[in-house]
Amino acid sequence: MIKLNRFIVTAALSLLALMAHPAFAQIKVFACEPEWGALVQELAGDKASVFSATTALQDAHHLEARPSLIARARNADLVICTGSELEAGWLPLLLRQSGNARIQPGSQGYLEASQFVPRLEIPRVLDRSLGDIHSAGNPHIQLDPHNIAKVAQVLADRLAQLDPGNAGAYRARTAAFLARWRDATRRWEAEAAPLKGLTMVVYHRNMTYLSAWLGLREVGSLEPKPGLPPTTAHLADLVARMQADPGKVIVYAAYNNPQAAQFLSERSKIPAVMLPFTVGGSDRAKDLFGLFDDTLARLLAVIK
Amino acid sequence: MVSILVPALIAGLMVTAVLVPFGFEVLKRGIVFIDLAVAQIAGVGVIFADFLGWEPQGAAVQVAALVAALVTALLLTWTEKRWPEVQEAIIGVVFVLGASGAILLLASNPHGGEHLKDLLVGQILWVSPGRLPRDAFIYAVILAAWFGLGARLGRVGFYALFACAVTFSVQLVGLYLVFASLVLPALATYYASRRRHLKAYAVGLLGYVLGLLASLWLDLPSGAMIVWAMVLVALLVARFERRPAAPG
Repeated sequence: MIKLNRFIVTAALSLLALMAHPAFAQIKVFACEPEWGALVQELAGDKASVFSATTALQDAHHLEARPSLIARARNADLVICTGSELEAGWLPLLLRQSGNARIQPGSQGYLEASQFVPRLEIPRVLDRSLGDIHSAGNPHIQLDPHNIAKVAQVLADRLAQLDPGNAGAYRARTAAFLARWRDATRRWEAEAAPLKGLTMVVYHRNMTYLSAWLGLREVGSLEPKPGLPPTTAHLADLVARMQADPGKVIVYAAYNNPQAAQFLSERSKIPAVMLPFTVGGSDRAKDLFGLFDDTLARLLAVIK
Repeated sequence: MVSILVPALIAGLMVTAVLVPFGFEVLKRGIVFIDLAVAQIAGVGVIFADFLGWEPQGAAVQVAALVAALVTALLLTWTEKRWPEVQEAIIGVVFVLGASGAILLLASNPHGGEHLKDLLVGQILWVSPGRLPRDAFIYAVILAAWFGLGARLGRVGFYALFACAVTFSVQLVGLYLVFASLVLPALATYYASRRRHLKAYAVGLLGYVLGLLASLWLDLPSGAMIVWAMVLVALLVARFERRPAAPG
């Protein structure tokens, strides 16, 4: 009986593989966050159909289960996520529920972007009392364009491996993208020179890579500890501390609740600025280039 | 595509199977919010276990949730005996104490918040097929005790068994679905003169099937969709039951 079952399963699987392989019209990509979806779009164009599990207005830490998520994961050829435990609350469950062997961790169809960039804020001690920190370091890597370029290279290789028929197209598109990206990065770095040393208060520790890239200085965060909502005592403490070490700007992401930032802004008389944080977070942040254009424009508007 | 929904449907039907008979009783006693209170305190038990640094998925956390739920159930048995007129108000106070107590305990623990949300809102789509046999066994034992012991359960037995049913169901499908599965089938068939069990189970079954299909078509979160579907089914069924004429 078991033997027969195994035979049927093997036969069915080989049939599926046969059906799936030549009909590889479009590689199906499941992106956990919009920035990776946008990157796939840049490198693969119409060779890929991309689905993003979250939008720029959602906190990627949490996700409501919808049937379409499982359906998309079930058909996906490639899952690309930030990793470093950012999606720890839902991605393992989704991958298990999908029953799709091609996208399980460790297989070719599973890509954790943060694995391929130098991570910041890797904690020396891991203690729950410090809040929602990730043992693999701060996962919000996408606001440093050098990280995007590193992930692009890995992603291009992966696309070429999974879909060898279009490998040439992926390489060509990636080379063109990286050239444009290098020029844009140089331009952004020149534009952002006046921002160096800008002191800012953040909402969540999600701007760390942006700060490191541009030499911004974070003087405090609205969350008392990562993942915990702002408390009155903490906000009062922050207002007091900012008199001694005044920040120039309060920065929060499109998905953060603006209330606490506005409260602090009114108290401390320094502007609160919403940053798109990822693709889709503002009207101008339509793609990865727009994301950085808009982020810099919003920050530069503060110091004018 | 529909196969995505199968584990969720099985979980939902198991929960309905267990909760419908409890729903009749809860409605009769006028204590419909008791499941909210018991589930909330079970959640506090989970957070407290987390507070003590216990393994999140371990058996110890299950025990903590169950003990908290049982203590609440026994407390409510006592208050029902002592102050039956205000039992529902007391249940409300226990609920609000549990909800705010959770926030106080969570003040320094962001991970507890995720446990609490899982426990209360639930993610029925994430139900793993692997855990279903174990849950089926637990529910079979609860149902056997309910129908086997019947009136011999007594008040304490009822509350204790109810606490078990709610604690396990909440972890499987979340609080909103537990409340819906408990109250809606019983409410829709409140005036049914015959075959009340059958009609009530049909309400639960149709609610889950239609809700899951609707969440697939409309691509909306499944738990909330099932609640709405079940209310619709309950309204339709209730239309066919005539309220007995008031005496006099």
